[in-house]
Amino acid sequence: MYYYIFDLKKCRKHSQVTDIKNYLAALGISGEFTYPSAAATVEELVDLGLSKKYNTIVGIGSDEIANRIAAKMSGQSEAMGLIPLEASADLAYLIGTSNWKEAAENLRYRKLSEMRIGLTANGSGFLTNINLDLRAPTEVTLEFRDYLVQARATSVLISNFSKEIKKISPDHLDIVMKSAGPKQAGILARFSSFFGGNNEKLGHSLFRARSLRLFTSSQIGLITDNYLVAKTPQLVESSDEDLRLITSKKTGSSPF
Amino acid sequence: MENTTDTIIGINVTLKGNLHNKGSIQVNGNIEGEVRSDENILIGETAKIKGPVIAKKIEISGEVKGLVEATEKLEVNSSGRVYGDINAKSLVIKEGAIFVGKSTSSQTPGETTSEPEKNTPKESTEIIVEPVKENKDKMGFFGKK
Repeated sequence: MYYYIFDLKKCRKHSQVTDIKNYLAALGISGEFTYPSAAATVEELVDLGLSKKYNTIVGIGSDEIANRIAAKMSGQSEAMGLIPLEASADLAYLIGTSNWKEAAENLRYRKLSEMRIGLTANGSGFLTNINLDLRAPTEVTLEFRDYLVQARATSVLISNFSKEIKKISPDHLDIVMKSAGPKQAGILARFSSFFGGNNEKLGHSLFRARSLRLFTSSQIGLITDNYLVAKTPQLVESSDEDLRLITSKKTGSSPF
Repeated sequence: MENTTDTIIGINVTLKGNLHNKGSIQVNGNIEGEVRSDENILIGETAKIKGPVIAKKIEISGEVKGLVEATEKLEVNSSGRVYGDINAKSLVIKEGAIFVGKSTSSQTPGETTSEPEKNTPKESTEIIVEPVKENKDKMGFFGKK
């Protein structure tokens, strides 16, 4: 019934693998354990699990494995679970816990929540957020359905789910951009950092859209959890179909 | 950032096209195109909009060049500059604001909805509220004081 995909890189010590397996067995939800490798990617393992008729595919690891499984599981009737190991705060908030034992107990309780995920044109997915990997203020163009936005951005965050942003529509992505002032030279450039503080809050932009295209003058990565999801230019959109995600059994400890 | 505003256009951001939202919009940057909301539009001091602005309630502290239409209330603050016609059910223009255009109201203050003349447009032409001094005078070498 349960098909586990284990990211061994996220285990603090080897005994943690055994501890997790034993705990799942004690809860009566043991199943088949698999490990991604060069021979079998996470995506291939998900396909394999589904072909073997497992009804729950569980990622054990952090945001990377969760996002890669989610991208394959969106639109499937089978459920996705997650046992977090070094997961981001947003991912932990989404499933209702950052504790692997609690997450394992939630798997047994099996409270399902349906949600959209973020998708990029190259087939990658994300449950929470992706960031444009900007090292310095960069000219960025965001193309939405009816309008175009241009700015010298210091950060661009595309969020499918964040505890910091109140989501208005489940099938919309929230885009938060921080912009810098126009490029200045000479003495103005030297002093602008001292006098630009008042404008920092005014430099925040927020857009909500089902899809957008990102353009930058040179190719820049879109990252999450320190791994590369895609590169610009890129189309990012909310999925058309729901993911069935197992979340916390406790009322109020997850956003659903 | 917890926010129920649908869209925020930050300072130094340029938006080209038509921005139509069900929820509220806050503008601190530049827009070339139509801005329309079913709720409120807040136009900050640093904002410049070239195009029509249409919403239930509109508050202007920046610059608008184009038609401004508020189905409920329009407020032009002292730093606000409107170059275009205004159509609002309720209109407040504060001292120091600039308004060059025609103002039309579908309902004058004090009228009740039961009065037969309530939908009769009241029109006045070329209302200009001159500021005490222009905004440029308030600017220091590195920006606003």
